[in-house]
Amino acid sequence: MSALLEVRDVTRSFGGVRAVDAASFDVVAGSITALIGPNGAGKSSLFNIVSGFLRPERGTVHFSGRAIQNRAPHRIARAGLVRTFQTPRALTRMSVLENVLLAAPHHVGERLGRVFATPRAARAHEDAAEREAHRLLTLVRLDGQADAYAGTLSGGERKLLDFARVLMTEPRLILLDEPMAGVNPTLAAQLLEHMLAAREERGVTFLLVEHDLDLVMRACDTVVVMNEGRILATGTPDDVRRDERVVDAYLGAHA
Amino acid sequence: MSTIASGEFWAFVGVVAGIYTIFGLGVQVQFGYTGLLNFGHVAFMAIGAYTMAILTVKTGIGMWAAAVIAVGVSILAGLLLGLPTLRLRADYFAITTIAFSEIVRYIALNEDRLTGGSQGTINLAGAGTAAQYDESWQHFQGRVQDWLGLGSKDVTMLVLVWSAALVLLVLLHVAVRSPWGRVLRSIREDEDAAASLGKNVFAYKLQSLAVGAALGAVAGLFYAWQFSFFSPDDFAPLITFFAYTIVILGGTARTWAVPVGAVVFGVIFAGTRFFDFPPFSLFDSADRAYLRLAVIGAILIGLMAFRPQGLFGKREEMVLE
Repeated sequence: MSALLEVRDVTRSFGGVRAVDAASFDVVAGSITALIGPNGAGKSSLFNIVSGFLRPERGTVHFSGRAIQNRAPHRIARAGLVRTFQTPRALTRMSVLENVLLAAPHHVGERLGRVFATPRAARAHEDAAEREAHRLLTLVRLDGQADAYAGTLSGGERKLLDFARVLMTEPRLILLDEPMAGVNPTLAAQLLEHMLAAREERGVTFLLVEHDLDLVMRACDTVVVMNEGRILATGTPDDVRRDERVVDAYLGAHA
Repeated sequence: MSTIASGEFWAFVGVVAGIYTIFGLGVQVQFGYTGLLNFGHVAFMAIGAYTMAILTVKTGIGMWAAAVIAVGVSILAGLLLGLPTLRLRADYFAITTIAFSEIVRYIALNEDRLTGGSQGTINLAGAGTAAQYDESWQHFQGRVQDWLGLGSKDVTMLVLVWSAALVLLVLLHVAVRSPWGRVLRSIREDEDAAASLGKNVFAYKLQSLAVGAALGAVAGLFYAWQFSFFSPDDFAPLITFFAYTIVILGGTARTWAVPVGAVVFGVIFAGTRFFDFPPFSLFDSADRAYLRLAVIGAILIGLMAFRPQGLFGKREEMVLE
């Protein structure tokens, strides 16, 4: 199988600390890959590097064959690699619907010149975007609150909104930063269902940072374990579970 | 106290409010919608006014062409200001923009041969030579006055300024309600989130700055035409903060709140001059003129405390933080 994302020898330090130290791993197209490890292992830094919010000092990141380690975040997102943040970044003083509409890709109405030069084309794009946005909001059961300010949503609902918004960008690879953290079990089950459906119906690949090991072991195809900036092990959930180094560094008691 | 009742005086107040409406719309798009703290907005007004006047007096091109070029130069100045500064954090950006407007004012003050220096545009063509940049405007205004059958020049100016203000208001309204405006608001809310969804935050900030610069320049043109003379003193940083006062007074992130804020501001600013009842009558008229600044300050403090969204803002969307 081909790798959609290839991370090679990525290194990044903060002060004297190597947050990410020569990290290499692949994310196979169509997979759900988990990045796990103790706090401070460098998972978030690695996420920031892959999504373009942080530049690596060394190493390369290839997304569907193209080097992206020096690209700006918005260009990486447009190429189809879209991330969420650990705390959902709902635009609180905009409506739930607007939050999703904002994520519409290649929207001609977002060009000031086109708003005046080709108002009909801009309107048509907006109508199509609205239909898609309502569809996605219905999917995550937030359509009833489409016109409410996103600031009125609960933490769990904001995660669902984040997810709908990311899907709106028509992504090929979604990076989820702790999607299940602070989410009640019902909602967590819902989110997982949405992920599986998105993979099935849209061919979306997932890379997630997650502390819920139960979910990781159950739902993921590949697990990448990080510790102190380095990749400790990569493999199927079963491989990783049996790996002595992983047990010592992270899992603790033999599971 | 005959002045306060005269139509001419209030027509003048209305003209100034119209100019401030155009000027304030620039602050509204930059600050109200995009969240950019541009504290040097007055620079664009100065660049618009000076470019038009200088080109008209010193080159052969006509005043109207000079006016169009002036708006273009102001947009360019906005882009030049934005390129190095927009990547700065919001507070550093704000400080840099103040410095920018002061640099523009100091150039106007010290480059006598180009700008007329501290004596202003009267000196544009050199000492002893009469320099008028607004002949074409006076001519145009006269024709409009005859055509509409209006009684005075002040009223004609009132009609012209507000016509321009309304056209610009409608255009800006369409722009900020479009998906383009939605991107601006998303940057105001959380620029990392906007970037993560594929929006080129820097490019949109530049566009917002450029649109504001164009509006500032148009305000500068009307300012120059209204007064037929101006000097660097007219473009002190205080003018920028008047525009912020207007936007906050009317309500941020509302296009049509700007003219309302400008009229309220204009009436208070001009009207306080004539407060002749207690306790204001305790002061002589010269001191009373300064009272207006205190009154405006008090109104702003009151707004912050009781109506932080401004007169017409939506509280959920734009509470000042």
